[in-house]
Amino acid sequence: MIEKDNRPVNLNLLTISLPIIGVTSILHRISGLAVFFSFPLIVWVFSISLKSENSFSMLSGLFQSSFLFKAITFLILVGFSYHLLAGFKKLISDAFGVGETLESGRVLSWLVIGTTCLMALFYLIYLF
Amino acid sequence: MSAAAIPVEQIKTITMSIYRFDPSLDKKPYMQDLVIAIPTDKDIMVLDALHLAKEQEPSLSYRRSCREGVCGSDGMNINGKNGLACVTPLSEVLKRGKITLRPMPGLPVVRDLIVDMKQFFDQLEKVKPYLITKSDNPDIERIQTPEDREELDGLYECILCGCCSTSCPSFWWNPDKFLGPAALLQSWRFIADTRDEATEERLDDLEDAFSLYRCHGIMNCVSVCPKGLNPTEAISNIRNKLLTREKN
Repeated sequence: MIEKDNRPVNLNLLTISLPIIGVTSILHRISGLAVFFSFPLIVWVFSISLKSENSFSMLSGLFQSSFLFKAITFLILVGFSYHLLAGFKKLISDAFGVGETLESGRVLSWLVIGTTCLMALFYLIYLF
Repeated sequence: MSAAAIPVEQIKTITMSIYRFDPSLDKKPYMQDLVIAIPTDKDIMVLDALHLAKEQEPSLSYRRSCREGVCGSDGMNINGKNGLACVTPLSEVLKRGKITLRPMPGLPVVRDLIVDMKQFFDQLEKVKPYLITKSDNPDIERIQTPEDREELDGLYECILCGCCSTSCPSFWWNPDKFLGPAALLQSWRFIADTRDEATEERLDDLEDAFSLYRCHGIMNCVSVCPKGLNPTEAISNIRNKLLTREKN
């Protein structure tokens, strides 16, 4: 008899299919984590902007010229928007039971992803 | 069904990539590709194809019993999605002449496609999946209105195949603490039963951070259930019951 701990477990995530509702849920977590860790950065940049008139115009100049600055801002905005929308989806499901069937869940998930894409497009046009 | 009995012109070959592990021989599991002949004049189920594969490779092991989606023995991961081999038509899952079979995720593999379901049944046991009554037995059976009985539709049909719980990420990470969709569906089946008299105790048992609240609405359970049941909705019903009883 083999020891219990030696038995293999089939849990290679790359081989297990994840439906769209699951993808939305995982992205909700990832975006939440990303937004959480970007928070100190935002506070730091904000504190610099408040230091003096010079530092404010320096930052404002960076936003105008630096691609890296724009790209980071874009990613934070997209992550935050997605997390917010997926959060609303979860609250709506919890409160009203909407999105608890496979079909409505899929529709809501695509709605969250679609709206995030639209918002991303808007940020893209606005920033670049 | 023997491949030799089918006329040659009605045979095509498919590749079955199957997860193999024999604890007495193998240190690690591996994937084995078996090329098998299947009839072209009719569709067969994945379980039938497994029988054909076993003729070629007799050491291949899997569970099966009723072969019609009633016993829940042959739950497995078919092309990445859990399902019952006996009610999954081969034509629906065959991709470029290939099909991949793995054991249900998250549970220890006993051998090949057979998993140890102990964790699954331990969780089911916790929800006391039977009618609990405190009042004296009536002279006749405990009666229910047709409307009350309808509340149990979509709940009592569960065959405990384990497809839902083993597709649930929350169950993968906490199989000992999170009850999993199958057990929670059964929990709601008895909470919703008007004849049951232990609703409060049942709800008390679920009120911790893990048992119920680890469900994040990923809904893999609903997407794989071979009986078309909805554990997510059942879990949501329990949650609402837990929240509303606080106000009483």
